[in-house]
Amino acid sequence: MQAAQMESVEEPPSMLWGLDPIFSTFAKLYVRDILQMTESIQVPDVYFYNSHPIFQVDVLGTVVYKRERDSFFCYGVDDGTGVINCLCWKKDLLKEKGDPTKSGAKHSDGAQGSFDPVAELEKLRQAQKNRCHLDIGDLLRVRGPVKTYRQQREITAHVYYKVNDPVMAVQIAWMMEVPQLYRQCYDKPILQQPDEMGDSSFTLLSKATNVIKDFVKQKMASKVRPYDVMDLLHPLFPVHSQTASEDQRPVAGPSSFQRLRQLVQETLQVLQDEGILYRKVRSQDEVYHVTAEDTDLLIAVKDIIREDSKREHFAEKGCHVLHILTAVRHSYSLNVTKAALEVILRKLECNSEIVSTRDNYYTAF
Amino acid sequence: MLPAAAVFHYPWEINSGAVEEGQSVRVFGRLTYYQPEESRATLSTQHASKEHCVVVNTKHVEPFDPITGAQYIALGETEKVEDGGVVLRARVLNCIDGVNIALLQKAINEQRSFFSEREQKQSEAAQFTHDT
Repeated sequence: MQAAQMESVEEPPSMLWGLDPIFSTFAKLYVRDILQMTESIQVPDVYFYNSHPIFQVDVLGTVVYKRERDSFFCYGVDDGTGVINCLCWKKDLLKEKGDPTKSGAKHSDGAQGSFDPVAELEKLRQAQKNRCHLDIGDLLRVRGPVKTYRQQREITAHVYYKVNDPVMAVQIAWMMEVPQLYRQCYDKPILQQPDEMGDSSFTLLSKATNVIKDFVKQKMASKVRPYDVMDLLHPLFPVHSQTASEDQRPVAGPSSFQRLRQLVQETLQVLQDEGILYRKVRSQDEVYHVTAEDTDLLIAVKDIIREDSKREHFAEKGCHVLHILTAVRHSYSLNVTKAALEVILRKLECNSEIVSTRDNYYTAF
Repeated sequence: MLPAAAVFHYPWEINSGAVEEGQSVRVFGRLTYYQPEESRATLSTQHASKEHCVVVNTKHVEPFDPITGAQYIALGETEKVEDGGVVLRARVLNCIDGVNIALLQKAINEQRSFFSEREQKQSEAAQFTHDT
């Protein structure tokens, strides 16, 4: 009970569920665990096993209970650790009752040697019917989402079939595999790692990038130098260095400036990779141009597209991004990156100054 | 209503008193003896140079095809009888002749050790949270 409460407190936000690979698989959990998983408070029919979000499972077990209705079977499946109800909808194929005399005649036609699709289909239907119709004692494999119906967990089968396992080979393989899966996947806390472990380096960088992005947007700055940025990023550091330098105070003093410098470099690199900044000229003076504010570049790109769209070669399709990139590098600056050009193109397109004819092709009128 | 989960048990655990009365179990063994008029079958296994027999009441699974000498797996509830023995009232009785018994035992052990390992970890964790 205590563990259950703790788990619900630590329930990861639904935004992060997709990061867990187990979320998108059919988890091969023991029925006992399926019945005991804690239910999510955020979304119904999502459950947590060891803080792994789970909504669909894969189960193999013996049928120990059976109820048939017009449109579905309800099988109780026992895997040796628990028993769970499985709701198995009948396929339309099963509900159709073929005329027995007709199918018998067709079958004799097929026996003469020629390939008879109707008889083959009938055979297929029969095989499927046999696989879907189970009795107590048969082995059932079922995959599907877990639902809570009248306060009881059940599996709504997406796929279910009778497993032919006369010497228990499938069951033994399953019994050997599942503990391994538990050890390697389900019992490992995966979701918490990125929060705790990656926090220090990864999110510091993303925080820094966001700070600079906001600064650039607010000030409408057209150029940035590392020194300006360093002041902006400085507030990010004290909190970080205080926690880290408890026992390494003498080292932390001189290195904090270096670390700041390194962070600045990394941040600027990220921003360049995203195309937000680019260096017009590679010189001693490190100046980064803010792509979106660079009206000269904007005009240059617009002119290139307008001019080249008139040429016969590009008239129909428009100009490809790489063609524009070569032209810009030729006429404007050698250091324009593709990412920066894409930022410009997006801005021009938003202003309806250029039109994309299809993916990566642009034209102007 | 759903029946209780039938946990794998070895034939030599059934009669030794390790299994409580009314517990759901599944157990394997070679069919050595079958009395249809009394619905009584006997599954036996060699273990540690001893023959272990489990008496199975087959009333609920009849009619079935008895092959003497074949491996069967029975699933059901245990029941004490007057003479002090244990009878398994079978809900399922499947012929699994040809099964690799050694591998099956390994799989059962694997599953058991997994659960005991996990329970140990959980009790340790509970101890830890209790202490702090």
